Amino acid sequence: MKLALAIASAIILIVHGLVFYDQFFHKWERHQTAYFDQARTQARNDAERAELSDRSPKIEQIIVTQFGDNRVDRCTTCHLAIDDPRFKDHFQPLKTHPYSAALGDVQRNGRWERRHKFTDFGCTVCHDGQGRGLETEYAHGNDEHWNDPLTGYVTQANWRKEFKTHLVGKEYMEANCAQCHTEENFPGTPHVNRGRELFFRTNCYGCHKIEGLSEGTLAPELSEAGHKFKIDYLWESIVDPRANLATSFMPKFNLSDEDVKCLVVFLKSRRGVNFAETSLARYRTRMSPAKAEITPEAVLNKAVPKAADLVSQGKQLFEDRACTACHKLGEKDGGIAPDLSFEGKLKDEEWLRDHFRTPRSRVPDSIMPAFRFSDSDFAALTAYLASQQAGAKLADGAEIFKTLCSRCHGDKGDGQGKTAYYLDPAPRDLTKRAFMNSKPDDRFIKSITDGVPGTSMPAWGKTLSDEQVHAVLGYVRTTFVKEPQRNLKAHANVPDANPTPTSKASVANGEATFLKRCAGCHGLKGDGKGPNSLDIVPRPRNLRNRWFVTTLNDRRALESILYGVQGTAMPSWIDYGLTVKDAADLLNYIRSLNPPPAPAPAAGKTIATAGTSPRGTE
Amino acid sequence: MSENHHHDKPGNSRRSILSWFTGAALAGSAAISALANLVFLKPRATYGQPSRYSIGKPDDFPSGTRISLDSRRVCVVREGQKLAVISTICTHLGCTVGVSDTGFACPCHGSRYDQDGNVVGGPAPKSLAWYKVSLAPNGDLEVDTNLPVDQGTYYNL
Repeated sequence: MKLALAIASAIILIVHGLVFYDQFFHKWERHQTAYFDQARTQARNDAERAELSDRSPKIEQIIVTQFGDNRVDRCTTCHLAIDDPRFKDHFQPLKTHPYSAALGDVQRNGRWERRHKFTDFGCTVCHDGQGRGLETEYAHGNDEHWNDPLTGYVTQANWRKEFKTHLVGKEYMEANCAQCHTEENFPGTPHVNRGRELFFRTNCYGCHKIEGLSEGTLAPELSEAGHKFKIDYLWESIVDPRANLATSFMPKFNLSDEDVKCLVVFLKSRRGVNFAETSLARYRTRMSPAKAEITPEAVLNKAVPKAADLVSQGKQLFEDRACTACHKLGEKDGGIAPDLSFEGKLKDEEWLRDHFRTPRSRVPDSIMPAFRFSDSDFAALTAYLASQQAGAKLADGAEIFKTLCSRCHGDKGDGQGKTAYYLDPAPRDLTKRAFMNSKPDDRFIKSITDGVPGTSMPAWGKTLSDEQVHAVLGYVRTTFVKEPQRNLKAHANVPDANPTPTSKASVANGEATFLKRCAGCHGLKGDGKGPNSLDIVPRPRNLRNRWFVTTLNDRRALESILYGVQGTAMPSWIDYGLTVKDAADLLNYIRSLNPPPAPAPAAGKTIATAGTSPRGTE
Repeated sequence: MSENHHHDKPGNSRRSILSWFTGAALAGSAAISALANLVFLKPRATYGQPSRYSIGKPDDFPSGTRISLDSRRVCVVREGQKLAVISTICTHLGCTVGVSDTGFACPCHGSRYDQDGNVVGGPAPKSLAWYKVSLAPNGDLEVDTNLPVDQGTYYNL
């Protein structure tokens, strides 16, 4: 018993001793003692030596009160010699902070003078890390939960191995320089400048918003990306967008490592905070409306050298602006947006121009952002796309389908091609027999030949011959539908043209019926986004798609209303007591939702492409 | 060992050694804890400005000038190659005194000091403090407000 007590008390004594040692004997004291010793050997006179002997190790700190929000940096507790030029060749932590003309330091009478004095600015303002930390691990931010580890020097243990080697280097500190040096072309921050240019040139601004720079709404806002994310997360998100968010539809831009680094440094500089400002000043800036902005136009208009003719200039722009991050052209395929390889044949210049300016003016549910290029850039891009005249040499239906259709409709014809997720309306599921067998071949031939206006289905008739169109339809029927077409009979009671001329009373009646019967799926506004629409595949038709509705013929519309659309959720409304007259009123209402467009803008605003147009005659 | 009395039975002796050892170890633990608590009472760092700071290069203070550094609350006096740093904190109630032609004058209650900081009028009880000046290795002048020096102690450049 006594023995056990003695052992226990010995253990208690040892533990107490260890805790005491751990808490009251510090590494930094050893560093400071080493500094005093070495400084004493280098002292020039006795007075200096005596003074050094007077000093004992203590926590050194820089308290910054005159520069932005107050800042406490105890880095000098270990790095005691940062301002002592005699230690310039010493190893860390007792090494002189390098003097650099690039940082604004000047040499006067053989002595360097710092532009950014440590007592005025502190350390963490440039280096990040944790200023109050007194142990390497804490101070340098090795901990995986510390958001801003020592920039360019520390890579945390949980960072992905592939990127780790890229995330080291002084250039990452430029992100902090740019906190205060916000000028557009500040010479001290070349990586930030290049990153900002890339932000515009690779069209990041189309989707992402950064306060004062861009207004994209499609993707997450990046105004405070540098404040929220570590550099490894930023790098990973650019290189491999789906690594962190499986549903992300951000394209892979295939940028060089150097370009990614510039973008990371630029994004890291977006902290939503200027270090030089106090919270109060920041609040005032935010409240004052007029703020100098760097517009995309300002950056983009000088980013690309102008080539000799419009087409090659367009080609240059097309490559420079990363269009193939989403679109396909030739070998490059972003896998998000439509194939542009045959654009010159499929679309006319007016269509292209309108679509560039406001993508939704031609495909109302398009997700393509409206990029803010100059008129001349749009003209060049239009000219370039219009020059994509290469007709594909395609032997049989299978090859045509594989080359032209499968990118959206899928290799299996199930409407699940790689771009399908991004298209609205979604590509038709060609394996759905109920639908495929309830429509006459004429309808499909027409859809292939003339395309479906207001959607991403182009008019393939412009590049395929009639035989080819028939061949591909035959291929679809034999490969995907796999069932002989039933003998279709046209419904005798459906008139070819709308029997009721449009009138206020008819439209009002149609609206009443619409709200009662249709709004549940097609939505109160008729935009196809009613409360039930989320459970329905294919999605209810957007009845405010002007291009679709105006080209829809009366007979097809009335037939769809009265007898439903087989293979979809659209029921046969004649079975629910709707008459031909009701359907006609409904059609009048739907047409009234899509008034003809306002007259074209003044002639002066159209782009002058005459003369340089490469578009041939067909 | 003084507590280790001689006993007849050897077991008793071993027992007393063990109890002596236990007592000593526990007392040692208590002493360490007490010491730790005592050390803990004195803060290792406070959020005041450091007592030792740089005031700039000697060239920033031309000969014959008396420059008041408001953020540090000191006045730098240079005469030829002699330099001194005098506190501008009034010894009466701690206002920052202004530099005047005759010396220093406090705006709060009218204390007046001469060029060397001696009281010449007003409620101030003591003369102004002089601080130790030294030259840092990088050529900056350093002041340590923890080390007051006698009046008239100049630093020779």
